[in-house]
Amino acid sequence: MLELSGLSKHFGGVKAVDELDLTVNEGEIVGLIGPNGSGKSTTINLICGVFGETAGTVRFRGELMNGKPPHQRLRAGLARTFQNIRLFPNLTVWQNLWVAQNSPQDVSARGFLPRWFGATRRTRREIADLLDLADLGHKDDELASNLAFGEQRRLEFARAAATRPRLLLLDEPAAGMNQQEIADLSRRIHRVRDSGVTILLVEHVMELVMGVTEQIAVLNFGRKIAFGTPGEVQRDKAVQEAYLGASDPGDGSA
Amino acid sequence: MDDYVITVLSNIGMISFIGLSAYLLLVTGEISFGQQAYFGLGAYAAGAVTAMFLLPIWVGILVGACVAGGIAMVVGALTLRLSGLYFSISTLAFAEMVRLILLIVHVQVEVEGEMVGPAGAEGFHGIRWMFERDLSLAHFMLLIYGLLALVLIVLLLVERSRLGSVFRMLGSDDLLAEMQGLDTVRYRILAAGVAGVISGIGGALYAHFTTYVEPQFFNVMLGVHALAYGLIGGLGTAFGPFIGVAIDIGFLESVRFIQGYRMIVFGGLAAVLLIFMPRGILDEERVHRLKTLFRRRNHAGAQRR
Ligand SMILES: Nc1ncnc2c1ncn2[C@@H]1O[C@H](COP(=O)(O)OP(=O)(O)OP(=O)(O)O)[C@@H](O)[C@H]1O
Ligand SMILES: [Mg+2]
Repeated sequence: MLELSGLSKHFGGVKAVDELDLTVNEGEIVGLIGPNGSGKSTTINLICGVFGETAGTVRFRGELMNGKPPHQRLRAGLARTFQNIRLFPNLTVWQNLWVAQNSPQDVSARGFLPRWFGATRRTRREIADLLDLADLGHKDDELASNLAFGEQRRLEFARAAATRPRLLLLDEPAAGMNQQEIADLSRRIHRVRDSGVTILLVEHVMELVMGVTEQIAVLNFGRKIAFGTPGEVQRDKAVQEAYLGASDPGDGSA
Repeated sequence: MDDYVITVLSNIGMISFIGLSAYLLLVTGEISFGQQAYFGLGAYAAGAVTAMFLLPIWVGILVGACVAGGIAMVVGALTLRLSGLYFSISTLAFAEMVRLILLIVHVQVEVEGEMVGPAGAEGFHGIRWMFERDLSLAHFMLLIYGLLALVLIVLLLVERSRLGSVFRMLGSDDLLAEMQGLDTVRYRILAAGVAGVISGIGGALYAHFTTYVEPQFFNVMLGVHALAYGLIGGLGTAFGPFIGVAIDIGFLESVRFIQGYRMIVFGGLAAVLLIFMPRGILDEERVHRLKTLFRRRNHAGAQRR
């Protein structure tokens, strides 16, 4: 489904991502881990087209993505969340989800009309489902800026899911969460996957990564140093060294 | 009502169009110092239609709106890549360019033995559609407020639509909007076009109200006022600019003793206000709180019944 080959991004002398090869198959939950500054977010940014790559290719469902602007990649089925929460603070929860709906009916002439005429019944039902997914049904009319931190994270997750993606890229969705919230998140990830979405999960919280992923790729200084099942990766010498040499992988900090 | 009151009210109405125009762009995160250019283009185009080609006024308003909107879209497309201060300066430069061009444009046709049309710095005289039909100023004021209400209602509806949310998205996080699958380029051009149309309608009305227009009127100060109305009134609702207009014309005009210092007082007021309310009096937060309050009261009322 997603195929990165020889993908590189250099910021001046810093090789943020270096000759990365990675394949994500349809229906999988793949983890992408690595110490701070190892190039995880940069990889996501390259996949989504935030900036151009120095070298290499991004293929999604067989189609070359290089040079395409972010909105076209999203329409091809690539959605993401951000490491630092990014929402539209001046829109309500409901509106944040509404604008994420991008099917032709949503963008059609009805887009000029107020909510009750402008949103198709299907759209409204989907938004209700998403509110349920994010546990925000009671807050649908609240401005996003008035939500608590945990609620904002949930909204961001739902908003990415609202774009009807084929591949969902999550950049440290568990940062700052407590045990209960992590358990909820892991349920939510499974629920989205079961609806047919493939997931690439960037995360520092090992508990979550080891619990939900089927395959894990490990980055260090922009290079892939290991790939395998959670068990294999945990036993890998190179991985242990990378983490010992850097920060504690379990601290959950960003 | 005497003519003075009608004139003041009509001016408030016409200036509100350009206020709404600047407001729409503020919502999308763009500070334009150049909306007066579209006001001017609308005025000249509409004047030409009725005075030179002797067509009805509604054709003039339509043409004025389209000319202003079309040019605004082209300019919007050209300045798209600019952001922040660079964008603002480019709008200002464009507006000045339009004004300077209108200062030299000299195209006249003979209508009933008289030469009519833009005459450079002397302006464009003889836009007498209204007076040739014996319409009173009061009638024309009704036309102004009718169209203003129409534009306001459309903006209020759009505000509650997906498109309205999209405009707010552009104003708060361009990259995120792009990541949500929005072609931000297209929406920015659309916003520029709509803003141009609104300003153009105001200009078309202005030309017919005063019977003549001159490039001098569409100077930077007009644009700065238009911008200030939205900033002061608030970016949370299209009602915002009207509060700005009310403060500027309604309040300051009436306080005679500060006449000569009006600009200073207005500028100072705007500056102080924006320190405490960076997104104006009716910002998104307050508008939302008012709406919630209103909805709750309605709800409670319905239950009691
Ligand atoms: N826009 C940028 N300009 C310059 N350097 C950058 C930029 N973005 C990232 N970098 C650098 O690239 C490297 C990789 O950064 P990246 O954010 O991808 O790491 P990460 O794996 O996501 O780390 P973290 O776990 O802290 O989120 C870092 O050295 C970072 O300083
Ligand atoms: Mg990161």
